[in-house]
Amino acid sequence: MSQIAKSSPLVPPALPEAHRQTGIPELARQSLNESSTRKSRWPARLDLLQSLSGLFLALFLVAHMAFVSSILISQELFYRVARFFEGEWLFGQPYPILVSLVAAGITCLLVVHAWLAMRKFPAGYRQYRAFTAHKSRLRHNDTSLWWLQVLTGFGLFFLTTIHLYDMLSQPSMIGPYESADRVWSGGMWPIYLMLLFTAELHGGIGLYRLAVKWGWFVGDEPDAGRRRLRRVRHVFSTFFITLGLLTLLAYINLGRAHAELAGERYVPPGNTLNTTVNAGKH
Amino acid sequence: MEIIHSDVLVIGGGLAGLRAGLAAQKRGQQVIILSLVPPKRSHSAAAQGGMQASLANALKGAGDNEDVHFEDTVRGSDWGNDQEVARMFTHVAPKAVRELAAWGVPWNRVEAGERTVIIDGKPVTLTESADAHGLITARDFGGTRKWRTCYVADGTGHAMLYAVSDQTIAAGIPVHERREAVALIHDGERCHGAIVRNLIDGKLSAYVAKATCIATGGFGRLYQATTNAVINEGIGAAIALDTGVVPLANMEAIQFHPTAIFPAGILVTEGCRGDGGLLRDVDGHRFMPDYEPEKKELASRDVVSRRMEAHIKAGKGASNRFGQHLWLDITLLGEAHINHKLREVKEICQYFLGIDPAKQWIPVRPAQHYSMGGIRTNADGAARGLRGLFACGEAACWDLHGFNRLGGNSVAETVVSGMIVGEAIADFCASTAGELTVSTALIRQCFERAQSEFAAIANHHGKESASLLLREMQATMTAQVGIVRHGEAMNAAVNTLQDLLLRSRDLGLSGRRSGADPELTLAWRLQKMLKLALCVSYGALQRTESRGAHFREDYPQRNDADWLKRTLASWPNSEQTLPTLNYESLDIARMELPPGWRGYGTRDAIEHPLTAGRQAEVEATRAALASSDRHAVQAALMPFRHLLPAHLRGDNARIGQHPGENA
Amino acid sequence: MITLFRKPKPGAAPRRLTLHILRCNPADPASKPYLQAFELEEAEGMTLFIALNEIRATQDPSLQFDFVCRAGICGSCAMLVDGRPALACRTLTRDYGSDITLAPLPFFELIGDLSVNTGKWMRGTAERLQTWIAQSEAVDLDALEARMEPALAEAIYELDRCIECGCCIAGCGTAQMNENFVGAVGLNKIARFRLDPRDTRSDAEFFELIGDDDGVFGCMSLLGCHDLCPKELPLQTQIAFLRRKMAVTGLY
Repeated sequence: MSQIAKSSPLVPPALPEAHRQTGIPELARQSLNESSTRKSRWPARLDLLQSLSGLFLALFLVAHMAFVSSILISQELFYRVARFFEGEWLFGQPYPILVSLVAAGITCLLVVHAWLAMRKFPAGYRQYRAFTAHKSRLRHNDTSLWWLQVLTGFGLFFLTTIHLYDMLSQPSMIGPYESADRVWSGGMWPIYLMLLFTAELHGGIGLYRLAVKWGWFVGDEPDAGRRRLRRVRHVFSTFFITLGLLTLLAYINLGRAHAELAGERYVPPGNTLNTTVNAGKH
Repeated sequence: MEIIHSDVLVIGGGLAGLRAGLAAQKRGQQVIILSLVPPKRSHSAAAQGGMQASLANALKGAGDNEDVHFEDTVRGSDWGNDQEVARMFTHVAPKAVRELAAWGVPWNRVEAGERTVIIDGKPVTLTESADAHGLITARDFGGTRKWRTCYVADGTGHAMLYAVSDQTIAAGIPVHERREAVALIHDGERCHGAIVRNLIDGKLSAYVAKATCIATGGFGRLYQATTNAVINEGIGAAIALDTGVVPLANMEAIQFHPTAIFPAGILVTEGCRGDGGLLRDVDGHRFMPDYEPEKKELASRDVVSRRMEAHIKAGKGASNRFGQHLWLDITLLGEAHINHKLREVKEICQYFLGIDPAKQWIPVRPAQHYSMGGIRTNADGAARGLRGLFACGEAACWDLHGFNRLGGNSVAETVVSGMIVGEAIADFCASTAGELTVSTALIRQCFERAQSEFAAIANHHGKESASLLLREMQATMTAQVGIVRHGEAMNAAVNTLQDLLLRSRDLGLSGRRSGADPELTLAWRLQKMLKLALCVSYGALQRTESRGAHFREDYPQRNDADWLKRTLASWPNSEQTLPTLNYESLDIARMELPPGWRGYGTRDAIEHPLTAGRQAEVEATRAALASSDRHAVQAALMPFRHLLPAHLRGDNARIGQHPGENA
Repeated sequence: MITLFRKPKPGAAPRRLTLHILRCNPADPASKPYLQAFELEEAEGMTLFIALNEIRATQDPSLQFDFVCRAGICGSCAMLVDGRPALACRTLTRDYGSDITLAPLPFFELIGDLSVNTGKWMRGTAERLQTWIAQSEAVDLDALEARMEPALAEAIYELDRCIECGCCIAGCGTAQMNENFVGAVGLNKIARFRLDPRDTRSDAEFFELIGDDDGVFGCMSLLGCHDLCPKELPLQTQIAFLRRKMAVTGLY
């Protein structure tokens, strides 16, 4: 009997193309048939790169906030932090060019991240309408959050460019008075305020999405894991926005108090060497 | 007129149709499958509890084999079935399960070691053997002596349908979805395909084929209270009836499932009771042991349904604003079991009743569930009356189920009959008898007749409403041709239905929608369904006995002496308002298991004069072959393997036993 | 269970419901989509299946919609209920306000009114993703079946429960913008067959099917699919899992 079974094998034969039903777009079907040619690995790499660049930028954002908020502890601490990043601890004297280099690196990363992310944005008005209609119909939290990320992403691209241009062009102008003057006397505080909200929301949502996208910190119960992640996201955004507001307020206060002397460089107490560079304003 | 050619035209995209199509296609025939809906939405998906096959892997299945399965099936049928077909079926069922396993059905498996199950309301610890670990397990079902029902939680039909459907996609078989066959193309002797209506645009076309297979499922929608899907209107059987030459058999044999949720009629699986669930009345009393001390809740479906109705009639039903019902209690199975093995049941209870079945009882009442009858076929699936026409699955009366079907045997029948009938179809197509000789004149004639049928309804502008007549038919069937039947009520039902049939020729459609107007579709189907309803009720009225699911208060005994025969209903003249009934006797002299007591239910059958003689013959043969293996005994009593396709004849392996070896 | 809180008080008069149904007949090129309001009296335990059939029987016999099993098993009746995809057959009217808006699922080909051609798309996707057990050897039907760990069988069934209703696609932001996206239904099927030892395909072969922006890398993790799946399939974790596997495959 089993011989007979083998002579009429129960293996599905090759797919006769004529029998195919419609329903797949032609392009997709072609790619199905061209399985002898290996599929490009780039979509996978770009997806990884988008996540990695986002992760790095978000971590940078966290670190950056930690550094600038050192002003809340003391002006001198902030001064030391700034000098630290100019390599004083290594070379014996500060090299602001290092800040420029970092700013340049971040700018590149930002451009890369934005480009990768934009591939997923609505392309054209039709897609834009389709998505926004979908979002308002669905009233679904994560879908709406993504739209918020798109909007904050757009905002960030312009806001960070301004900030990064400052850091690129005037890397040495980081210090308690210097920064405070930029915030207040330089009239930059509205930019920084917007930057704070957009960056922290974008970063917070981004980190949350990274976790669900790759399945990190989800645990055995995906729904419970996601609720936990949402709470973490709320705490994250609230904490950093609060910290950011306090920090910005500190710079604004300092900037207002220092407005008369705007341009004067900060000299830490006990520092005998006067490194003040006259910025041209008296 | 568009004409589409193929070797094989399968009407119906459920499990039976898909499997038959696959079998024919693997033999090199070009197959087209028609389906009312996307095939994965077929009603096969709603089979929950499982599929019977005597694998004997689980501890409580030990000792099971084709013989036990065969006897259970014959007893279940109340000796109304075809025993050769039952043999073919029980022999192939294990092969079908194993094939499906290879195709990806995630059958639940035996876990070696101890586990606690509920048997007869009490927890019992079973120790599964290490030998069986990882093999397909089984649960208990009604009317079976062994735990034989292979299952995938309570989504068995879904998992099977998806696996088989995926294989048809892999095989490149085109399924023409949202198509309804509205007439067979035939000349009174040979079937050449079907006239088909596109349910999207309403257009008709002709599908011409060497062989046509009807696998359209049952006709539960003749009834108001049914577990069936809304597409189960029996149109496949109706177009066969319309030919005037193809008989429908045993249409009065209608199964009512004991546990449909009340009042929605949605099925909760027999697996609930198989796994240890109990039936309770208004006082919370477990009443089934009072009626059926032996099998209790797990007697066959006809018996349990009847006992439930009797108990309600005795004033023991619970009630809500929709009426009387009883309770299904599965709380004793525990939350973990319900979450893993009965999750569809849990979802149904949550969504349709707003209850948690792990904590609350489920309101149930029997509802129409299955039609044992259908297009009468031979053992190879060839329909009587027209060459080139085949049928399989619930649409057919292959006659595996007789007058009552065992739970888990129908979803098994779909694939098993598909495997067998598909081969017969391929044989037919390859033979000279299968050669296509149809004239375009005949095709055009059938096409135009179908076209005029629709035009006549659309252009009539009469005074009757199709949806009202449909409701009246359904109410009549449930009230008067239901679980407990009586001559007077059925007589009234037949009169009502005849009247409805006449009124259905005077329909007025309210408006015309371009494309496939749902109103026109309903109106057209209504006339077909009324004819089927008349086959059911008139056949039931004429059958003056009780057998299986056909129970008459006025004739409560099974009467083998007069009624060991199949009803054959045909409709030779379209002006008739009643079917023509003929009868086909069952041959006791060829029965492996002569009529007797089922082991449950009442024991008062009127014996056939030939029963005792055949019984003696069987006993003598068994005695003479006492030292032979069971296959030899069986072959001496009633040979059947020659009826099977060659590759399905081999012995089935079981653990601790190799093919060819016998237990 | 929100339904418990919305249960009407016994004896209270039944509500009048207004169903605003998006009507459209693509077969008639002249017809334009419009919202039509139907009023009916609410009954106890009324589902949209009951309500729509009542409307068709008593008010407008030409109304098109799809129901098959009416038990939440077959996946035919997905539609937008107040803008969100749901299975109409098991949607209880008491969980909604007295005004309910019904629209066909977006993305899929519209047949008419609330009826869309999900079946055609699903078959196309199955062909495209080759969602079946591909076998190189014939099955010996007489022999014992291959063994499988019980827990693995249950894990496969967990993913096999998909009913192809299309809710995940209708709830997917990516699919709204990219009509070639395979959606959660497609990705879940790949995850299901990848888990199945009877499917012998390698990750590199699966990459050929879903390793691009129409496949797993097109997913933006908006999780509408996960949150709206009527069968509560673990789509979030499955898609994340596939993404990890395919990303690793993409490194080589």
